[in-house]
Amino acid sequence: MIEQIKEIYCYREMIWMLVRRDLRGRYKASALGFLWTFLNPLLQLGVYTIVFSIIMRAGIEKYYLFLFVALIPWMFFATSIQGGATCILTQKDMVAKIHFPRQVLPIAHVTASFVNMLLCFIVVLLVCAFGLGLELVLLPLLIPVMLTEYLLALGLCFVVAGVTVYFRDLEHITGIFVMLWQFLTPVMYSVEQVPEQLRDVFMLNPMTPVISCYRDILYYRQAPQMNNLVLSIGFGLLFLVIGWFLFDHLQKHFAEEL
Amino acid sequence: MSEFIPVREKKDDGVAIRVENITKRFKVYLDKGVYLKERVLFKNRNRYEERNVLRGISFEVKKGEAIGLIGENGCGKSTTLKLLSRIMYPDSGKIEINGRVSALIELGAGFHPDMSGRENIYTNAAIFGLSKGEIDRRLQTIIDFSELGDYIDNPVRTYSSGMYMRLAFSVAINVDADVLLIDEILAVGDMAFQAKCFNKLREIKNRGTTIVIVSHSLAQIEQICERSYWISEGKIREQGAPRDVHPLYMDYMSHKGQGIDGGAKTDVSAETLAPASAEAMEQPAPETPVEPVQPEAKKRWGSGEATMQSVQVLDRDGNERTNFAPNEPITVRIAYTAQRMLPDSVVGIAIYKSDQTFMYGTNSLIDTSQPVKLQRQGTIDLVIDSLPVANGCYTIDLALHRPDGFNFDFWREICTINIAGKVNPPGLIYLPHLWEFH
Repeated sequence: MIEQIKEIYCYREMIWMLVRRDLRGRYKASALGFLWTFLNPLLQLGVYTIVFSIIMRAGIEKYYLFLFVALIPWMFFATSIQGGATCILTQKDMVAKIHFPRQVLPIAHVTASFVNMLLCFIVVLLVCAFGLGLELVLLPLLIPVMLTEYLLALGLCFVVAGVTVYFRDLEHITGIFVMLWQFLTPVMYSVEQVPEQLRDVFMLNPMTPVISCYRDILYYRQAPQMNNLVLSIGFGLLFLVIGWFLFDHLQKHFAEEL
Repeated sequence: MSEFIPVREKKDDGVAIRVENITKRFKVYLDKGVYLKERVLFKNRNRYEERNVLRGISFEVKKGEAIGLIGENGCGKSTTLKLLSRIMYPDSGKIEINGRVSALIELGAGFHPDMSGRENIYTNAAIFGLSKGEIDRRLQTIIDFSELGDYIDNPVRTYSSGMYMRLAFSVAINVDADVLLIDEILAVGDMAFQAKCFNKLREIKNRGTTIVIVSHSLAQIEQICERSYWISEGKIREQGAPRDVHPLYMDYMSHKGQGIDGGAKTDVSAETLAPASAEAMEQPAPETPVEPVQPEAKKRWGSGEATMQSVQVLDRDGNERTNFAPNEPITVRIAYTAQRMLPDSVVGIAIYKSDQTFMYGTNSLIDTSQPVKLQRQGTIDLVIDSLPVANGCYTIDLALHRPDGFNFDFWREICTINIAGKVNPPGLIYLPHLWEFH
């Protein structure tokens, strides 16, 4: 395993190359190009603002911001898993024909989504600064939160990426599953709105503490409950270990399956 | 399931590649359903056949050695190369490779048509596991080698296929791998670039790079490899010096071709000329490396439709001799008989130095562009004006064959000539020369 990690380190240039290609490729051939990376979240925010402050009043103050600070992190998580399902299949020419550590592909995919989220965060921070004001002392706390989320996303990405090669239905199952997961996570509502008796079960969802932390830091501007985050880090590591070994086992026959 | 993953060990016993009894089985799906619906509804779509592609192959390659893998299509040689490059993993057995591996299997994989040649060098080299700094250092060498000049900044989609391959080859060969795996790709570009590739291969081999080549071109393997492995039905059938293995393989192939044609059935003479094939079939699974073919084992093969009865080497007066000066004319006289008239034939000769350096080869088809007619009986004289080579012992191979390479009679090392000049300057050849002092 240490050998493999060393080898992946040797392929770091390939990871960066794939990340750059992914980010540039997203808005390729569009007139505004890379600007869409920032425009996209801004326009989404516009839509939420219109819908939730004019049409559908949510009863939460500045609901559009309440939603926005949770939705951008959630979208990183969702694309990591959904796109992760196909990240081996879309590179099948390369996988079937040349050698490189296969782990490079999920890592690059999740990293690209992560970098994309970081870029979106420029918009998030600006909007929060104008809409609510920022508590600068709290911002460094975003780093462990983001890293925890990265860990979770990467572990799950390994699982779906490996299994989808053998079982293509998983791509579509993943889409539905991620949607369900979003509704089970306090992205559009707050934890307090969950019935009391269900709350313990609810907290077992590793994404709940992550999203709550984002919201505490950016929306409520209060110190997040980091003890909940410890559980998420635990889940993240568990996913990563399971994902790693499962993927490593599955990748041996990729070339034949594709 | 495979518990044996290729390991890279730092143990330095001069062995670059060690392959121990690897096997590989493929499931060949007749019609595979990848989606759940297809799997459930059409159960018979998942019918597959298991094909044992490799049935226990073992070999060792020392650092700086070059070996060739030959065999018919589907014999498992490309699979072996894929296992070596770790695109796939063996079902059982063990592969050890010391050092960085570069595979010239799919050249230009990962090339992006819209990016320039220069950008593609970066992406392609990254796929080989090079870091930015390593690529920076190699960039100029790669561009120079590809001979693309100013085109390097044009998008790759504007390249001709030759330019594309040149760029891809340049990247792959400049990775500075310890082990280089090559699959049938030396047909790159024009003749001049091919020669350059070959020189580059020799150069990196001399620097200590280990090379494994899969090719149908036996000549290419002979030029660069010390050993050949003939793989047949997933096992090593013969191994040894290319010059020893290739004739056996060619002999086998020419007989096989005939079997398929259903054409002229070979008679007893073919059997007596080719006793090796039957025995070779019985070879046990090579858990221990197969003994190399003995050089003495087989020096003559062919269908026997025409046979050389005698071969003489004559001097200018028509006397049989074995010692010649480098500037003396030599006549090789072949007396042959044929079972019937053979209108479509070729006579060929090859001259080797005693250390197996291939000195010269030609045949009547190359020289006259026309097949020759062999009578039921006759003689052929090949008159060589002079043999301007360094002093030493030279052997001659002669062959009577069809234009497609099907051998009537191939006789290796049929005769020996000693070249003994008055002086013996170093080098391979003896250039007739003159000093002039003014």
